[in-house]
Amino acid sequence: MENILSVLIFFPAVAGLLGFVVDKNSARVYGISVAVVEFLLSLWLWMSFDGTNAGMQFVEIIPLVPDFGISYYVGVDGISLFIVVMAALMTMLGMISMNIEKDIKNMVISLLFLEMTMIGVFVALDAIVFYLFWELSLVPMLYIIGAWGGPLRIYASVKFFLYTFSGSLIMLVGMLFMAYLYQSISGVWSFSITDWYALVLPMNYQIWLFLAFFIGFAVKVPMFPFHTWLPYAHGQAPTIGSVILAAVLLKMGTYGFVRFSLPMFPDASTQMIMPIAVLSIIMIIYTAMVAYAQKDIKQVIAYSSVSHMGVIMLGIFAMNAEGIGGSIFLMLSHGIVSGALFMLVGVIYDRRHTKLMSEFGGLASVMPKYALIFGIMLMASVGLPLTIGFVGEFLVLLGFYKVSVIGTILAGTSVIVGAIYMLSLYKKSFFGPVTNEENSKLADLDAKELVALVPLVVIVIWLGVYPKPVLGPIDNSVKALLGFMHEKAQTTEVKEIITLSKNIKEAK
Amino acid sequence: MEKFVYIALFAPLVSSLFAGLFGMTPKKMFVGVIASLLLASSFVASAILAYHVNLTGSGIHVTLMDWIGAGDLKIPFGFIVDQVSVSMMVVVTLVSTVVHIYSIGYMDHDKSFNRFFSYLSAFVFSMLVLVMSDNFAGLFIGWEGVGVCSWLLIGFWYHKPDVSPEINPSISPSWAANEAFIVNRIADLGMLIGIFILYWNVGSLQYDVVFAELPNLANGVLVAAAIALFIGAMGKSAQFPLHTWLTDAMEGPTPVSALIHAATMVTAGVFLVIRAHPLFMMTPEVSYFIASLGTFVAIFAASMALVNRDLKRIIAYSTLSQLGYMFAAAGLGAYWIALFHLAAHAFFKALLFLGAGNVMHAMHDELDIFKMGGLKKAMRWTYIYMGVASLALAGIPPLAGFFSKDAIIETAFNEGTFILWAILVVTAGMTAFYSFRQVFLTFEGDERYKEFGIHPHEMYKFVLIALAPLGILAVIAGFFQKTFQGFVTDLLPNYEMSEHTHHLAMILGAVVLVFAVGGIALAWIKYGKGLKRNEKVENGFFYKLLKNQYYIPQFYAEFISKPYAMISEIFWKSVDMKIVDATVDAIAKTIHTTGDSTRKMQTGNLSNYLNWMGVGVVILLIAAAITPMLG
Amino acid sequence: MIGLNHYLILSGLLFSIGLVGVLRRKNLLMLFFATEVMLNAANIAFAAASHFYGDLTGQMFAFFIVAVAASEVAVGLGLLIVLYKKQGTLDLDDLATMKG
Repeated sequence: MENILSVLIFFPAVAGLLGFVVDKNSARVYGISVAVVEFLLSLWLWMSFDGTNAGMQFVEIIPLVPDFGISYYVGVDGISLFIVVMAALMTMLGMISMNIEKDIKNMVISLLFLEMTMIGVFVALDAIVFYLFWELSLVPMLYIIGAWGGPLRIYASVKFFLYTFSGSLIMLVGMLFMAYLYQSISGVWSFSITDWYALVLPMNYQIWLFLAFFIGFAVKVPMFPFHTWLPYAHGQAPTIGSVILAAVLLKMGTYGFVRFSLPMFPDASTQMIMPIAVLSIIMIIYTAMVAYAQKDIKQVIAYSSVSHMGVIMLGIFAMNAEGIGGSIFLMLSHGIVSGALFMLVGVIYDRRHTKLMSEFGGLASVMPKYALIFGIMLMASVGLPLTIGFVGEFLVLLGFYKVSVIGTILAGTSVIVGAIYMLSLYKKSFFGPVTNEENSKLADLDAKELVALVPLVVIVIWLGVYPKPVLGPIDNSVKALLGFMHEKAQTTEVKEIITLSKNIKEAK
Repeated sequence: MEKFVYIALFAPLVSSLFAGLFGMTPKKMFVGVIASLLLASSFVASAILAYHVNLTGSGIHVTLMDWIGAGDLKIPFGFIVDQVSVSMMVVVTLVSTVVHIYSIGYMDHDKSFNRFFSYLSAFVFSMLVLVMSDNFAGLFIGWEGVGVCSWLLIGFWYHKPDVSPEINPSISPSWAANEAFIVNRIADLGMLIGIFILYWNVGSLQYDVVFAELPNLANGVLVAAAIALFIGAMGKSAQFPLHTWLTDAMEGPTPVSALIHAATMVTAGVFLVIRAHPLFMMTPEVSYFIASLGTFVAIFAASMALVNRDLKRIIAYSTLSQLGYMFAAAGLGAYWIALFHLAAHAFFKALLFLGAGNVMHAMHDELDIFKMGGLKKAMRWTYIYMGVASLALAGIPPLAGFFSKDAIIETAFNEGTFILWAILVVTAGMTAFYSFRQVFLTFEGDERYKEFGIHPHEMYKFVLIALAPLGILAVIAGFFQKTFQGFVTDLLPNYEMSEHTHHLAMILGAVVLVFAVGGIALAWIKYGKGLKRNEKVENGFFYKLLKNQYYIPQFYAEFISKPYAMISEIFWKSVDMKIVDATVDAIAKTIHTTGDSTRKMQTGNLSNYLNWMGVGVVILLIAAAITPMLG
Repeated sequence: MIGLNHYLILSGLLFSIGLVGVLRRKNLLMLFFATEVMLNAANIAFAAASHFYGDLTGQMFAFFIVAVAASEVAVGLGLLIVLYKKQGTLDLDDLATMKG
């Protein structure tokens, strides 16, 4: 199928529109079916993807505004492929585990629209299309948090919307300026990202453009000190909202750095390694400590997300195949693991309507299956070898070692501080005697929850033991990216920093 | 031969998964039996491999599949069975098999019987990955794997509540488990850094490639890598200052203490130093530091054991002390002696712990040796086992400990490091004293337990029989010293005493023996006839210092844990909420208040609006008029 | 001789009168008249310029404005009548319902 990407983008949207006429009682089943089909389609995309080709595949171009070079231009490479698959997977599992009664139809429709925008962002190769999906993704999320959230939901959703929106407006200015530069150099308008890649810009332009894009991406990641919307959003969002937000929406920011900042501004990016590394290290240690101080399980995981995103940022700016490949793998693993953790928090919230650790204790003896799956995800989160979390974290730290030894040691404390907050969370909630009477009769995971969680456990172990099917295509595309950056870099110092691997596959 | 490698490696994994299937169901006897059988098959396979390696003199190298490949990094799941790893495999699987059988009896009444076997077998699998891997990343898998299994097993009785440190120094099993995991993680960071250093300087993590490349590396790189790897080893082997977790780990079930915290996992650090000996041989400064730290830990831990009243903690301190001996030997370049002591120690220390487990079982989990005494009547076999193990630990000929420990002390003399030698000799005396203080207080003298209404009984027969292999090995292992030396020095550098030392060997041995026997005699004089407490000594400064473990746990609690929690709290409540988030909200508020105050312009009166419009037009006209003038 | 400038001055004067009316009058109906004055001021300027430059575009524009003004008055006066019926006044100070 030639148009698989368009099908992937618009199938959920069309299904979402049709969702308006679906009966309220069958909305859940309808949503799940659509999400399953979508996931199967994404699997098909993966199967028909040529893992040895490092370039863009399944490319479609339809001119939209030819005078300004705006076109509907989509394609996937090894970097975006797996994020697309993960987005489809997490939407499907999130929908299956969803435990919402109120306005279920609206929720299903919002989720399907959200799915469209998420997949659109990751496959768009035209800046305007990218921006369109990027901004559109805010709308369903705003609605999900605002309509089904906790007591502070309005504040949280508006904060989420305005914060990320103002960041991305600056990014839009950067995009327009980039298009203007392209026009003034080449004489024709184009918003195509691949055209922009070819542009070799002077250093001062690169820095300004890098900063403009940086603001947009950094708020989304979220990087310290732009991260404070995240705990509110997670704290107030319903489970499904948190799952999607943590698993997919945050990855848009880091993906943007890989897709835009690195190849377009290689010189500026290398220039900015140190400032970004400092921010990332602050992010890793500081938010991990903040996570340790939290009283609410969900907030711990929310802050831990920020901490892990710091590791991802660090890997992207390691400027070698180990670091960037590790970062992209870590995006996937963080998506799976944090998504699962948020689902697990949702499970206990559904039963007790509280997320405070002090309310729990001894859950391991009451809910052994729950404790087991939580334990596996916890270990994946702290990066235990043979779970999915280790591969990415190891590669990132390994890659960043090339850039800075001290930085790696500081960032490496994430393996310690991560263990501290996660284990103390586990001890407070799962270990010890059952002190609270209300906890002594809690039901263990039911079939629906197991259906959502067991696949994630399988993936966590599978990709931890055998990451090659995923890491291979990622590695090819990353090597091609680095080769391109190396070629484009203007000074020898920058060329030296961008480390090439010994064997690079050319993008076809 | 490959199939034996896989049997040895995967039988414990199968066992773990099989037991895991029944993890949430009530006790099933067959789970324990099958797990033990699978472990035994792993032991048999290891023994066959050992025989094969001995016969052919070369290792077996297998590669299962690729693991991580990114950039130039290629990590396979590769396993190597050579003289060093096969020795470890035999020791690990043998002790594990005994511990598995023992656990069938020991965990008899525990409701989580099946779960226990699952964890225990998973540990053995991780340990085998650790010793068999052919690269540093694989070693790290096992390294972390044993850490997690240790976490699971220390916290096995997770349902116990937290208590104050006055009642129980480690507060609760789950607390001890977390402490062990986090402290090990600190060391693991060092290990990771070591791996990174090697990768970026060599380009591979395979042992053979790395070791072949070492002579081409700068000295600074070698020293950095050696230090980083040794930091990793310090955590796993609980060397000062990362030692506190080991005694707290005694919260776990006793078979766990025997297997993980005495015989196998804690020796992983020693194994790492032996495995990476080409690196450590090229960095004599680091090696000397290792030897010095090992010696220090030997006497440091032994001193704390002198006054402790907790049966298991005393043995834990002695483990710590013996690990110090091993590091001393490895640091001085006598790698095969370190490995030999590691094996011998595994046998008698596991036996000692399992004997202690019998006592605990009999005493209804009472651990205070001051409340025991005279148990020899009720528990004859346990007394014999623990006596033999303690004699071996004390280094009384002809038991295993004599040969292995004496060789280490002799090495210290041979290397001319007389201070280390002297400390090790004194420690040998202390070892003998505290071991027999424990044995006498437990089994001899007045029956103090009667006040507490306990009726001790001997352990099950099959458990006692299962302990026999360890008992026999604790006695005879020493006789194979020369055979072992011949076997492992095919791979490890041989270490022979100089001519001079050789002449003095008898005298040196006698000195050690005098100290050892003296220690036992002193213990008999003080405790042989029952407990006589001396208030004055117990309130003395040194006694209190030792009893409180030099106040190191308190120091860590006050100066690391509490500040960490405090700073976290400040970061959250003051920095994150009051500065970072407040700034964002302040920006939003500024915009809001600006809008709010300019809202008054919106009077609703059309006439006002038109006036404002007029003002705007005038301003624009003026601007249009001025701009050309300004050029 | 009356030149273009005279017409433009007349147009400017008329426009200013209209502008002052728009700014100062409070009665909506008067505001309408004032805007009509301003529109016609523009018409004079257009027609004069057209005449003097010999370009008919200006006159065409003037016609357009007349047409637009007529339709605007038709719609606007209709709205005024409805407003008057509803509120009983056309004084702007009393019609400030959109106060922010």
